[in-house]
Amino acid sequence: MRTLTFSIKVFIFLFAVNLQAQKTSKKETPKDSVVYKTGYGLRLGIDLSKPGLSFIDKSYTGFEIVGDYRVSKNWYVAAEIGHEEEITFEDFTTSTSKGNYIRLGANLNTYNNWLDMNNEIYIGGRYGFAIFEHTLNEFTPNISTGSTDTPIIFPNQTITTPVSESGLTAHWFEFQIGIKVETFKNLFIGFHGAYKIGLSIDDQENFKTLYTPGFNRVFESNTGFGFNYTISYLIPFVNK
Amino acid sequence: MRFLKYAIILFVAAICFLSCEKDDFCTQNPVTPNLVLRFYDNTTLTEFKEVKRFTMSTGGITLFSDIATDSIAIPLNTIAEETIFTLTRNETDSEDNTGDETATLTVKYTSENEYISRSCGFRVIFNNVTFEATGWIDRLSVTEVESIKNQANAHVNIFH
Repeated sequence: MRTLTFSIKVFIFLFAVNLQAQKTSKKETPKDSVVYKTGYGLRLGIDLSKPGLSFIDKSYTGFEIVGDYRVSKNWYVAAEIGHEEEITFEDFTTSTSKGNYIRLGANLNTYNNWLDMNNEIYIGGRYGFAIFEHTLNEFTPNISTGSTDTPIIFPNQTITTPVSESGLTAHWFEFQIGIKVETFKNLFIGFHGAYKIGLSIDDQENFKTLYTPGFNRVFESNTGFGFNYTISYLIPFVNK
Repeated sequence: MRFLKYAIILFVAAICFLSCEKDDFCTQNPVTPNLVLRFYDNTTLTEFKEVKRFTMSTGGITLFSDIATDSIAIPLNTIAEETIFTLTRNETDSEDNTGDETATLTVKYTSENEYISRSCGFRVIFNNVTFEATGWIDRLSVTEVESIKNQANAHVNIFH
């Protein structure tokens, strides 16, 4: 009887030790994946397409600063601020739009990076706001007869007195799709395309806003398109 | 990645459907309204009456000549405050012009530029329009019209 009790005690002890051993062995097994850290911080850059376009197109000048701040693994708070001036030439009117804009929003990175790469394929949403001045430089009243067979019999006159209105504002929503690629350590090249939906775009009196800074050409349905090509630098605050 | 795929499809679809804009070409013609005149019989007052061998000119420019019609749409001079038309008809001869009768229609107005669209630009509308007639025109239906903004209906009926 004594031996039996002893052997039970030994058995329980061994069992317990065995359990203990299993627990410790689990703890000590090294993980089979390494956590690669990427930089979190403020990324600042400029749009290269706008100075480029200013150089080619004499009727346009523009400048844009872009920035984003990473708040989690895939989310970035992003903004663009800029200044644009564009002369719009149409068949019967010539107008100038000039002003500043800001676009605020966020980007969601949908790309799963390998190892410690820090590239992005993102979708973004923005709220855009612009304060601008719109000028009707000159216009020719449209007295066309609508048919080439019917000639215009009365003379026409181009009105060349510019009419300007400043302090006009525009609000819009913007949907972006873009990429950002880390080319050198902390240096990024990026591109995005955007579709814009105007919420309210002020018009000057007896005319319509044909171009809004930050929004580009205003289509008849109050929508617009845009793109930029950026170079930006990441100032990493922490690596996570 | 699945999310992105849908996002791209949505984006491309949005561009395809929403970028087709109708403001590249001005399809509204004429943008600036013409003056529409209709000719009625002076005795019955309700029946149209054609003007025979009808010629119309203004300031030495002939708008049309030698036609038979009871309805015309003619432009107004947008840079002046009045347009004087000379209307010539001939009810007796079929070939020569010995039976020509003339009438003048003086239209006075103030013109105003009104913005239409990107492709059509500005049109001219005519306000405070007054009409005055002499010659074979017996009567006008109205001598004052507040504004001429479209040409869907006749602005003045001419009785002769």
